[in-house]
Amino acid sequence: MLYALCLGLFMPLIGFVTLLSTARYVGRRQAGFIGCTTIFISLICFVSLLISYVYTGASPQTYTLFDWIHFNSINANFALHLDPLALLMTLIITGVGLLIHVYSVGYMDHDDDFARFFACMNFFIFSMLLLVLAAELLLLFVGWEGVGLASYLLIGFWYQKPEAAEAATKAFVINRIGDLGLLLGLLLTFYLFHTTDIVIVSNSVETGFTIGAPVITLLTMLYFVGATGKSAQIPLQTWLPDAMAGPTPVSALIHAATMVTAGVYLVVRMHAVFTMAPMTLQVIGIIGAITSLYASLSALGQTDLKRVLAYSTVSQLGLMFLACGAGAFYAAMFHLTTHAFIKAVLFLSAGNVVHMMHGTTEMSKMGGLSAIFTKTHWLFLIAALSLSGIPPLAAFFSKDLILENEYLVGYEFLYYIALAASILTGIYLTRAYCLTFTGPQHLDSDQHDVKEAPSIMITPVLILTFFSIFGGFIGFSIGRTPWLEDFIAEVDVTYIEKELTTDFIWSYEGILAIVGAIGGVLATALVYSKFRDQLGKPIEFLKKSFYFDEIYNWLFIIPLKSISSWMAQKIEPEIFDGSINILAQGTQGVARALQLVQSGQVRAYVAWMALGAVLLIVYLVY
Amino acid sequence: MDVSLFVFVSLAMFGIGIIGVLINRNALIFFLSIELLLNAGNLLFVAFAREWENQTGLIWVFFVLIIAAAEAAVGIAIFINQFRTKQVVDVDQYDVLRG
Repeated sequence: MLYALCLGLFMPLIGFVTLLSTARYVGRRQAGFIGCTTIFISLICFVSLLISYVYTGASPQTYTLFDWIHFNSINANFALHLDPLALLMTLIITGVGLLIHVYSVGYMDHDDDFARFFACMNFFIFSMLLLVLAAELLLLFVGWEGVGLASYLLIGFWYQKPEAAEAATKAFVINRIGDLGLLLGLLLTFYLFHTTDIVIVSNSVETGFTIGAPVITLLTMLYFVGATGKSAQIPLQTWLPDAMAGPTPVSALIHAATMVTAGVYLVVRMHAVFTMAPMTLQVIGIIGAITSLYASLSALGQTDLKRVLAYSTVSQLGLMFLACGAGAFYAAMFHLTTHAFIKAVLFLSAGNVVHMMHGTTEMSKMGGLSAIFTKTHWLFLIAALSLSGIPPLAAFFSKDLILENEYLVGYEFLYYIALAASILTGIYLTRAYCLTFTGPQHLDSDQHDVKEAPSIMITPVLILTFFSIFGGFIGFSIGRTPWLEDFIAEVDVTYIEKELTTDFIWSYEGILAIVGAIGGVLATALVYSKFRDQLGKPIEFLKKSFYFDEIYNWLFIIPLKSISSWMAQKIEPEIFDGSINILAQGTQGVARALQLVQSGQVRAYVAWMALGAVLLIVYLVY
Repeated sequence: MDVSLFVFVSLAMFGIGIIGVLINRNALIFFLSIELLLNAGNLLFVAFAREWENQTGLIWVFFVLIIAAAEAAVGIAIFINQFRTKQVVDVDQYDVLRG
C-alpha cells in the first residue's frame, strides 16, 4: 500500500518536474500526454488503494517516509496518513483532475506554453494530494502553500493580460491573510501538543481540554481563518470571482477538485478539535450562512457567465461550512463530493462556450446558443438542475442532508438562510442557462464560425455529468447505511450525525426545500421565456457583489497605498537615505583631514616620530 | 668613569642624529644620521652593561648592529632605485607614497 500511495502522490510531481525541465523540447502532444498520463497513473493508484482498502478491511494508517524536522522537543516527520477521508479526497482530486486535464488538451490548443500549463496543473494536483494525505499539520501546510502558489501561477497564466496578473496577485495576497491564521494556529498547536500529528492532536485534545476551553476556541478560530482564505468565505471571498481571469480549466480545477475544498477539508480533518469549541462552530455556521446567501444574491447580479459560477461556488462552500458549523461534517463532505462533479461540469461546459466564442464570457453577447451547442447545453442544464437540488440528481441528496441537519440541530434561523441560498441557487443557475442558451442570438459579426466543441472537450464533461446525475446515490440508500457514510464512518466524522440523521426524511422542511428548488427553477425559466425583454439590467448593488471590493479598497488599499507613497517620498529619502548620506560625508571629511598626515615626506614622518617620542617621555616622566 | 658622561655623549649623538635627519635633504647624509641615532642607543647599551656588569646589553648591541646593517642594505637599495628614476638624491622628492 505504501508504494501505491507514494506513486500516487509523487507521480504528478514527476510530471511537473519532467514538463518543467523539458518545456522547450516537448511538443504539444507530448506535453498533454505527460500531463494526463501522470494524473491517470495517480488515479489508478488511488483506485487500487480504495479497492484494497475496502476489501481487506484495512484501518487508517500513518506511513512515515522520513524524519523531516528534528529540533529540540519539536519533531515533524514527512508522514502520510491514509484513511477513508483522505482517500475520498484523493479520488475526487485525481478523478476530476484527470478529466479536466484531458479537457485542457482541447481547450488550450491555441495557446503557446502548453508545457508550462500542464506543469502547473500537475503541480496543483500534487500540492492538493500532499495537503489531503499529510499526517501532520506542518506537512499539510506545505501542500496548502503549494496550492496557493499553483493557483497564483495558473490564474495568472495569461500574464500578458493585466487583469489576469492582477487577479493572480489578489488571490495570492488574500490567501496569504488566511495562511497567516493557519500558521499561527500551527504554532499554537506546537505549543499545546508539542506535535502537529493530526491523529495525536485529535486524540489528546479530548483528554487534555474541557469543551469550550478558550485556548481551543482560539486554536480553532485560527484554523478557520486559514479555511476562510482558501475556501473564499466572508471576509476573504473577493479573490475567487476575480480568479476567473485564468483559463477555464483552471477555474474548474480550483473550484471543483483542488484549492477551495481545502478549507472545508481542514475543518473536517480537524473535526475532533472543532467539536471541542462550540463557539467556533457557531461562528463557522454563521459565516457559512451569510456567505452562502451573499454569494447567491451576488450571482443573481452577474453578467459574466464564469462569475456566476464563481459566486455559485462561494455559495456552495458556504453551505458546506454551514454544515460543519452544525457538526454535520459528513454532510459537508458529501456535498463537497457531489459539488466537485457538478461544478466541474458547469465550468467545463461553460468553457466549451467560452472557447468556441473566442474567449467571450459576457452573457449579453450570448443567448440562443442551444442551437449551436447541441450537446453542451444539455450538460450545463443537467448540472444546473442537479446543483439546484432537483431530485433525484446528485446535489439534491447532499444539500437536503445539510438542510435537514441544520434544522434538526436547532439552528432554525440558519436553516432558513440555507434554504433561501439553496432556492436562489436554482434561480441564478437557471438565469445563467436562459441568458446563455435560450432566447435570441447576439453573436458578433466575427463569430459566425462558432460551432459545437470537439469531442475531446465533450467526453470528459459527459463522464462528469454521469456522476452529477447518479453521484448522489453513494450517500443515499433506503433501509441501510449509505455506502459513503459506511466508508467514511471510520474517521468518526459522522458521530454527531448519528444523533441526527443521515437518512432522507419526509418532513415539512424537506418538502419545502424540494418545492422551493423546483419552484425557483420553473419560475425563473418562465420569466426568462415570457418576459425576457422587459427585464432590465441586473441591480448594480448585486452586480458589484455588495460593493465588497470597493469597501476593501477604501478601508485597506487606499490607506496602505498612501502610507507607502508617503514612506517612499518622505521617510525613505529624508530619514534613511539622509542619515546614511550624513554618515558618509562625515567619514569622508575625517578621511580628508587624516590624508594631510600622509605627506610622503620622510622627514616629516621622522619629525612626527620625534615629537611623539618626546610627548611619550614627557608623559612617562610626569 | 661615571656613567652619566656616557649618557650625555649618547644624548648628544642622538640630538645630532635627529637634527641631521630633520634638516638634511641629502639622502646619504640622512642615512648617516640614522646610523648615528642607532649608535647613540648602542653606546647607552654598552655603558650600562659595564656599569651594572650585565652582559645582556652587549648582546643587544649585536642585534642592533645586525639590524642596522640589514636596514642599511635595504635602505641603500631603495635610494639607488629612487635615484635611478628621479636623478636626485633629495629625500623630499621621494614622495610617491603621499596619501
